[in-house]
Order: sequence, then structure tokens, then C-alpha cells
Amino acid sequence: MTEPQPAATDPSSETIVPLGDSTVLIILGSGVDPRLAARAQSIAAAIALRRIETPAIGRAVPAHASVLVPFDPLALDLDAIIGFARDAITATAGVGADPAADEDPAMFVEVPVRYGGPDGPDLDEVADRLGLFPADIVELHAGVLHRVLFLGFAPGFAYLDGLPTALTLPRRATPRERVPAGSVAIAGEQTGIYPRSMPGGWHLIGRTDATLFDPTRPEPAVLTPGAFVRFVPAPDR
Amino acid sequence: MSGVVFDVIEGGLLTTIQDAGRPDWQHLGVPESGAADPWSRAVANLLIGNDPGDAVLEMTVVGPTLRATTATTIGLGGADLGGRIRDGHRLRPDRSHRLAAGDIIEIPGSRSAAGGIRAYLAIEGGVDVPVVLGSRSTCLAGGFGGLDGRPIQTGDRIVSRGHRAGARRPTSARPSELVWPVPDVPPGGSHAEPVGVLRFLAGPGAGAADVAAAAWVVGRAADRVGIRLDGPSLPAGVAGETTSHGVPWGAIQLPPDGRPIVLGADHQTTGGYRVCGVVISADLAVLGQLGPGSAVRLMEVDRATALAALREQRERLVAGAAAVRDAAGWDALLAGAGG
Repeated sequence: MTEPQPAATDPSSETIVPLGDSTVLIILGSGVDPRLAARAQSIAAAIALRRIETPAIGRAVPAHASVLVPFDPLALDLDAIIGFARDAITATAGVGADPAADEDPAMFVEVPVRYGGPDGPDLDEVADRLGLFPADIVELHAGVLHRVLFLGFAPGFAYLDGLPTALTLPRRATPRERVPAGSVAIAGEQTGIYPRSMPGGWHLIGRTDATLFDPTRPEPAVLTPGAFVRFVPAPDR
Repeated sequence: MSGVVFDVIEGGLLTTIQDAGRPDWQHLGVPESGAADPWSRAVANLLIGNDPGDAVLEMTVVGPTLRATTATTIGLGGADLGGRIRDGHRLRPDRSHRLAAGDIIEIPGSRSAAGGIRAYLAIEGGVDVPVVLGSRSTCLAGGFGGLDGRPIQTGDRIVSRGHRAGARRPTSARPSELVWPVPDVPPGGSHAEPVGVLRFLAGPGAGAADVAAAAWVVGRAADRVGIRLDGPSLPAGVAGETTSHGVPWGAIQLPPDGRPIVLGADHQTTGGYRVCGVVISADLAVLGQLGPGSAVRLMEVDRATALAALREQRERLVAGAAAVRDAAGWDALLAGAGG
């Protein structure tokens, strides 16, 4: 995809800080960087393996550039959990250095989207503010591959990387009290899909009927970290 | 015996089914859920011989009206929301109560929120709903768990998983181990104006001393996701945004407007506000009882204090469960001797 990038971080630059009595936070850096997000996923996976023999470690929560590691503080002391975190950091030192090497072609999801109209009520305003035609917005948004960095905010909500810089726009001044489920939205340098009806401050440019989270499935989330996502313009209903 | 225990006549303000939650799915953005006051959930269960993490009804400010379809025993924990059996006796918390078939229980709410806003009702064997992602808890944000992911409402039926084999019949005793110890009231607190004290560990962000020095009141935005605190403005540079990271239950976030948010059981898994501290695990029970208008103090403690409090809490639950079993044994003996 691109030429090899330098290593995401200097190996000694990670920090581990306690967050309360029952979690520690591994901090890999700051800002949005797919290499750090990939590293965070690998560290969380390495820690998950240790839970088999050490159930006092909780399921780790990776994000943009960090991993939250819960643990039972009466079963495991702080030094021990920091040791597990350091092991995971060491074991994953090479991950994220070359994003192309981590690509798995099987992890590719197409999301059909009805852009504009009642399904994307902010599309015209977004086009106005960016000095583009609505069709340009659709072409830009659907014309690139977005990569899932991590899941957070709400069940199955994927933080996606890869929004073209031409679509960068601050979030709405006044959030909506109700955003319909399946709404495809942009804000800042990000795009995302609201998995459920909820309050939200992003600009709604379209909507999908795809079910992105089903807790009764063995794999509840359709969009998983590392997967590539392409939005495909779909005809109106 | 398993089967229907209650018909729901009125659902109450916000009554959900909660157990020990689903902490292991946060990497998919799924909130922990579970009882907002884990201590009182455990107490309600232990009083009737259940496991501490069995599914219970969590009631908020105004509880439901329920008709018992069978003779049964319930355990009550948490705040006193004025519960009573219609035309019968009061249903006080931290006790078990025997109900006859046809009894109607009403939980109209207490005049003051000073004693807390959440109460827990346990039924024999726990509430029977499907396990979703490892838990029976209602996930309001995801619309799953509990009864179709929503609060209970008129017409619902509350079903029991059945009395556990080997479980002793509960007793009316009120073991002292299961009564919440009244914490030290800091300066500013009094009986006239009770203050909820949340002990916390400082960091990783700045501002611990500032939030500890202030008197706070819980604002109107207070629910299972978290509570907003109203109080003095914080010094410049303390509040603000950061790269979103995983956040634990009890995290004290300082958003740009400077009004702290303390995260609750249904908190979002990741957050982009600076965190100046995290409420100690033992005091999540206090946090779960705070509602709009509650006066709050944040008190910084060290790690040893946090762990000692958590250890004491777990030991009390173990001792309380043993006391309930012992009392049940004596009750059975006396009943047999008395004929």
C-alpha cells in the first residue's frame, strides 16, 4: 500500500500508569496513528493469552494509542500486573512498524450506504461548508478504504481511519438528541456508523441497513480492529 | 422451584435486571453494566442464600409495583425506597421478607434521596432471563440483556431460576456484616446535610487536589452512565481533552467545561477527557447511590487504603453469607424442635 514506515515508537517510550486501584493504562503515544492502534491491539491480544493461567487479569481494552488492563488487585499486586504489561509490550515490539505486513485481505467489509436525502440530512450543509458538491462528498467518502482502529464509545462502534482530509469538519455546534441507528457520519478527521439510535454530534451524510452489532452472534461485531471498510453508495429505498 | 414469581403491575421509574455485569466485552465497546451499587446487589442476594452475583431487580428512586404469583422469599438491599406489602408490613432493606401468593408489593420512593436512590430486590435463585455476552444484565445503550434490553414495564413477568439445590431456607435475621458501615463524615457534612464521600486514587492527570478541596453537588445529568458534578470552577489547564483511551468505572473525568464527570456502571468504554483520579472500588457502592442534588466530597487516599477497604468489603460479604446460613440452620432446628 505504501512504502515501509519507520517504527511507530521507540521501544522505551511506552509508559504504564495505574488508573485507580484495579486498572493500569499502557500509553504508547498520543494522537491518531494506525501503527499505534495496531500495536495496542497486539498488546491487548498478548495480555488476553495470559488470562488462561492468570484469571485475575481482566480483558484489556485497546484504543488509539493505549491499552487499559483491568485486574483484581486483591489477587495480583501492582508490580505483577505491570510485569505482565511489560512482557506484552516486549512481545509485540515489531507490530505496527510496517502496516502493510499486518494486512489480512480476508478482513474486508463493504457497507452499503444511502447518501443524502432523509438518510443523510447533513450532506448538503457539509458540501456547502466544504465548498464541494454533495456528489463530491459521496465520491470522496466512498472512494477510499477506511481501516478499523478500535471499537469503543458504544457496542460495535468502530473508530475508522482514512477519511480524506478534504472532508475534515468540526462536529456540529449542537448535538442531536436522537441519531437514527445505522447513520453514517463524519466529524473531525473521523467517520463512523452509529450502531444504535442515540444522541450524537457528528454530521449525518448517509445511512446503512447493515446490522453492525448482534450480541447473540459468536462474533458480535461486524467491524473488527484491523479490518478494511469500503462504503458503497446504494440506491434509495 | 423455578417459574413466574411476580407479575409487574407498574414498572417504576427505571427498574432493570442487573447482575455482576459483563466486564469482558469492553474491547467491543460494550459497557460493563451490572448493578450500579454492587455491594447492595450482593447483600440482597446473600440474604436469601443466592450467589452474590445473581441477577436482581435494580430499582431507581421509585420502584415497581409487583404481585407475587406464588409464596416466595425476597431479599432487599440498598436504599430504603419506602417499600411495603399493600395492607401489610413495611419492607425494610438489608433483610429478607416472606411473601404469600397474591401479596402486592409497592415501592413508592422515599421523600429524601439522602439515603440513596437505588434499591435491589433479589428473588430465590436469581432472575431468569437469557445470558447475553456472559451476563443477564440489561444493557440500555445496546438494547440487549435483561428483558429485551429495556427497563421492566407493566405486563412483564419476573421469572426465577429456581431455588438452588442445597441452599438453605433464608432467615429473617439481619446479619451485622451485611449492613453498610457508615463512613467518617468529613468537615461540612452533618446529619442535616449528609455528604456522600467518594475516596479516590489520584492521577494520571492533574487536578486531584483541586477536586478534593471543593464541595460538589450532583447535577441533573445523573444516570447509570455517570454523574455530572456542579461546584467551583477549576484552575486553568486542569480540564481538557486527550487522545481517547480506555476508562474504568469510577474514573473522574474533567471535560473542557470543568464540571467533573464520575463514570458509572454503564460508562462508555473509552473516553477523551482528562482523568484526575479514579474512585476506589470499595466506594463504587457509594457512587451508585448518588442522585441529582446529592452533596459529594472527593477524598484522595493512597493505594493501601483502597485495597484495605476492598478487602474488608469482601470479607464482610463472606462473613455475612456464613451468618445467614448459620441462622437458617438454627431456624430449621428450632422449627423441628417446636413441632
